[in-house]
Amino acid sequence: MTEQEDKIKAEKKAWEEGALKKAMERFSFLQEPPARYYTPLDRSDFDFLEKVGFPGQYPFTAGTYPFDPMAGLSRLAAKAPQSSGLTRAAMYSGYGTPEDTRDYYRQNIERGVRQGPNLAMDLPTQCGYDSDNELIEGEVGKVGVAIDTLRDLEVIYEPYQGDLNLDNIASNFTVNASAIYLIAMYVALAEKRGIPIDRLRATPQNDILKEYIARGTYIFPPGPAMRLFRDTLVFITRHMPRMNITSMGGYHIREAGATRVQDLAFSLSIATAYIQAGVDAGQDVDAFAPRFTFNAFGGSMEVLKEIAFQRAARRMYARLLKERFGAKDPRSMIIRQPICAHIGPSSTTKQRPLNNVIRATIGAMAGAMSGGPPAAFPPYDEPLGLGWSREAQQLAQDTGRILACEARILDVVDPFAGSYYMEAQTDEIEAAAQAEMDKIDGMGGIVAAIEKGYVQRAVSRSAYKYQRAISNGDIQIVGVNCFIGENELEVQTNRLVPHPYDPERRARAEERQIANLKEVKRMRDQKEVRRLLGKLEQKAKDERENLLPLMIECAKAYVTLQEVCDVLRGVFGEYEPPSIF
Amino acid sequence: MEQRIRVLIGKPGLDGHDRGAKVIAYMLRDAGFEVIYTGLRQTPEAIVKAALQEDVQVVGLSILSGAHLGLVRSVADKLKEGGGDDVVLFVGGVIPEEDFPALKEMGVAEIFTSGTEIGQVVESIKRHVKIRRGEGGAG
Repeated sequence: MTEQEDKIKAEKKAWEEGALKKAMERFSFLQEPPARYYTPLDRSDFDFLEKVGFPGQYPFTAGTYPFDPMAGLSRLAAKAPQSSGLTRAAMYSGYGTPEDTRDYYRQNIERGVRQGPNLAMDLPTQCGYDSDNELIEGEVGKVGVAIDTLRDLEVIYEPYQGDLNLDNIASNFTVNASAIYLIAMYVALAEKRGIPIDRLRATPQNDILKEYIARGTYIFPPGPAMRLFRDTLVFITRHMPRMNITSMGGYHIREAGATRVQDLAFSLSIATAYIQAGVDAGQDVDAFAPRFTFNAFGGSMEVLKEIAFQRAARRMYARLLKERFGAKDPRSMIIRQPICAHIGPSSTTKQRPLNNVIRATIGAMAGAMSGGPPAAFPPYDEPLGLGWSREAQQLAQDTGRILACEARILDVVDPFAGSYYMEAQTDEIEAAAQAEMDKIDGMGGIVAAIEKGYVQRAVSRSAYKYQRAISNGDIQIVGVNCFIGENELEVQTNRLVPHPYDPERRARAEERQIANLKEVKRMRDQKEVRRLLGKLEQKAKDERENLLPLMIECAKAYVTLQEVCDVLRGVFGEYEPPSIF
Repeated sequence: MEQRIRVLIGKPGLDGHDRGAKVIAYMLRDAGFEVIYTGLRQTPEAIVKAALQEDVQVVGLSILSGAHLGLVRSVADKLKEGGGDDVVLFVGGVIPEEDFPALKEMGVAEIFTSGTEIGQVVESIKRHVKIRRGEGGAG
């Protein structure tokens, strides 16, 4: 210990026994101080270059890029509004039938939106069922658009022509278990339009492992699901250099109840499994890892810890790629994600919903201070269950703009770098997450841990623990379990702008989509469909085969999503979740 | 001694958001209920069949996908058809308030949305079961 540290240690002891103790006397109900103060003693072996370094460089603790792109763009807002880039990319959207979604995107294009679709799909599509399946009656076109065959994708993409053709836009597909067939359909669509597939840019979520832990749109057991993931990875790596392979998410896992440390450990263990799948398939890690993206890790209202979380995540991922997988290209080592720290949708409250504007603003500030844009997410009406209103979306956008342009929050990169507290907190989260990752490795990796039910039970238990903590007052939520007396004003809000989706069209969406599907089935070559499905069954049984090329043929022959999935169900079986008790 | 209340927690439809369903299942079990959790993707038929076979007094449905009106109606109708019309039905999830009257009309005893206090759910279920058993308990 240096002379300086000895001096600080002595001073700290004196402070604890003097000023701190005196302050504590006023709060006899407290066992220990309610706030901590950090000193150089909390990071005594701190090596700046090893632990933090420079933004955009290994180990990327301070940031994925030298500065956030929005910092540059924000300088132009009042001078060249068109190029300021402070308007969001296409929102996650998809309604009813492909026709409904097409018309929505067409309106957007007429309003000047230039981005490709960010497609929300309905649950039957995500779970591998066709719209005419009686078992899923009532779910067609809800929470997203119904896609049964290539015909549906053709309709959705009708407005994307000319300078908005598939080689000029980027698309986003929120689909996991059935992702491989959606990718096949997109390739088929491009080939039918005569566009070389190496020009396609899209991001399928294609993050199946987290579906067993959160969100629940699985179909097959984890083993065969990983084979399908491998097939997409290998095909994309070989033929589609501009296409992303996956958009991994810890955010769903956190929203399902995982703690911060579980979120980080499970997400990175999932990433490890995907990378290993690529390596095992004989691919060079630097050929595919740069095409991995992250949707987002989880967030919470504890923003200081969330900033540390993001710093720890970047450092751990970089080290994982470099040290465990031997990556050499820095682009393999970075976490590419649209937002950094943020609050979670589960941080918002239905009670006094305008308070959520404040919560999301706090999250946006944390986002900017953790190496990302100041993204106010989610819009305040998230917990009302009515869809985001245009007003709420406008407020969310303006929050980020105010933080960037007026508060100039992006002017400094990683403003907490070197902070005694932040570096100690970053180390602490990293160590705890690493310990959990090692535990999962010890079980044989995340696939084995999911098969055992360990991960699912761990997350459910954390969710229950959290709920009990709200119940007994250990966790406080304003307007929910505290400050709810009669003298509080229940601030209400009106949502004036109508939803873009016409309720009459919505009501008839299922019926219209079933008619669409019937027509496709009537027009297609049934013999060819049967031939392709037979071939699919054969190839599915041979683990060495890559199923994607054949699926592109299936898509072109208008084989339905469920027909493909049913063949695979027959070969792979279906996933049975473990008991929760 | 008070008879233990048997509850079935079901996730009808394809919605996979089961945090709430699991938390409620754990909570009711800790409160002394006998709890059966169906897991994801159950058809209304399967839920009603399990409820009748297990002879539960309470069925709780968790739905966050917006498909609640159709699914709840289906479960409620099938319960009645199967002779389970004394079963207390409650619903949790993302349910817009404008849909509350329609759900109550179908026979739903209570609707619990986000921010509901745990103890409130337990008390409410106990109260409804008492009423059904004819043990009174006003309102």
